[in-house]
Amino acid sequence: MKAVTLVIALLAVALAAGCGTKKGFEKPGFAFGCPIGESKISSMEDLVKAKVAKEGSKSPDVEIEEIRCTTTGDLMKIDVVVHNDESDVERLQYKFRWIDAEGMRAADEESWKPLLLYGNSRQTVTTIAPNAKARDFKFIFMGQD
Amino acid sequence: MTLPTRLRVPSAVIAAGLALTLAACGGPKTKYGDAGSVETVTNQFGSTDLQMLAEQMSQSMLSEAPVISSGNLPIVTVQEVKNKTSEYIDTRAITNRMRATLQKSRKVRFATDQAEMQKQIDEIQRQQSEYYDQNKSTEVGKMVGAGFRVTGEITSIVKEDKKIKDVYYQLFLSMTNIQTGIEEWSDTKEIRKTTEK
Repeated sequence: MKAVTLVIALLAVALAAGCGTKKGFEKPGFAFGCPIGESKISSMEDLVKAKVAKEGSKSPDVEIEEIRCTTTGDLMKIDVVVHNDESDVERLQYKFRWIDAEGMRAADEESWKPLLLYGNSRQTVTTIAPNAKARDFKFIFMGQD
Repeated sequence: MTLPTRLRVPSAVIAAGLALTLAACGGPKTKYGDAGSVETVTNQFGSTDLQMLAEQMSQSMLSEAPVISSGNLPIVTVQEVKNKTSEYIDTRAITNRMRATLQKSRKVRFATDQAEMQKQIDEIQRQQSEYYDQNKSTEVGKMVGAGFRVTGEITSIVKEDKKIKDVYYQLFLSMTNIQTGIEEWSDTKEIRKTTEK
């Protein structure tokens, strides 16, 4: 009986540790490595909603699947996975907007960068913050004429 | 005096015609645009290419060059970036943009490069003249040399037939330790542009 209880207890501990792994690595105020401030973000979907903005009238038929952040030295490094689940080629343009700790612009507005996505394909857009003042960001995209 | 009705109608027509002519001959309209927008007027090297290459190369240097990412604030000089394409490209515009981005990152300092050296010497020499207070003038022999030099080249491949013109650009840059001759960082960035005629 004691052995069964011990096994159950061990399993419970292992399960708790397993569930806690993601949160264990996450610093407060961060989700998937990305800064979220006071926002309550518990899923990748929430993070994408918080960090992505569409501009312009032409909306490309693509989905922002994932955003992951890390740091290189004191600079924020970001990966954004863009997915085109249609069979047609999609052309879009994107830029990052950098925000400092006070919510002000941390750098000049970036130029738009064109991106081509083949049908049924994914591309990871990678960037690094222009300076250490940049503490938060927005990924902005729109269709290409 | 009232004009007869048959004269009034042509006058109105003439006035309307004149208004239309004036509107049509108004000439080209000028508007301010977005300097950061994607430019696809022709497939020659354009502003978007310059902005993209400079930005991507700066990001690569910041994240991949150990001497920069280590936070040691290295002193760098920018040498010539050769234009090996078939068109005119001001490669200094690319490196100037990179310099501005990197300097704002506060991760790199730039020493006077070859192109600016004469102006630097002229200013030091000017301050040595009798018109200046020598106690406050810049001293000769106090300039700091760079530890690293950045150089590179831009090449292109152009292919064209009756229907399509395809242009491929490749920018290669490298950063070398001047003391040791060891290449500390290098990267290539590419752009492909296709025009259907």
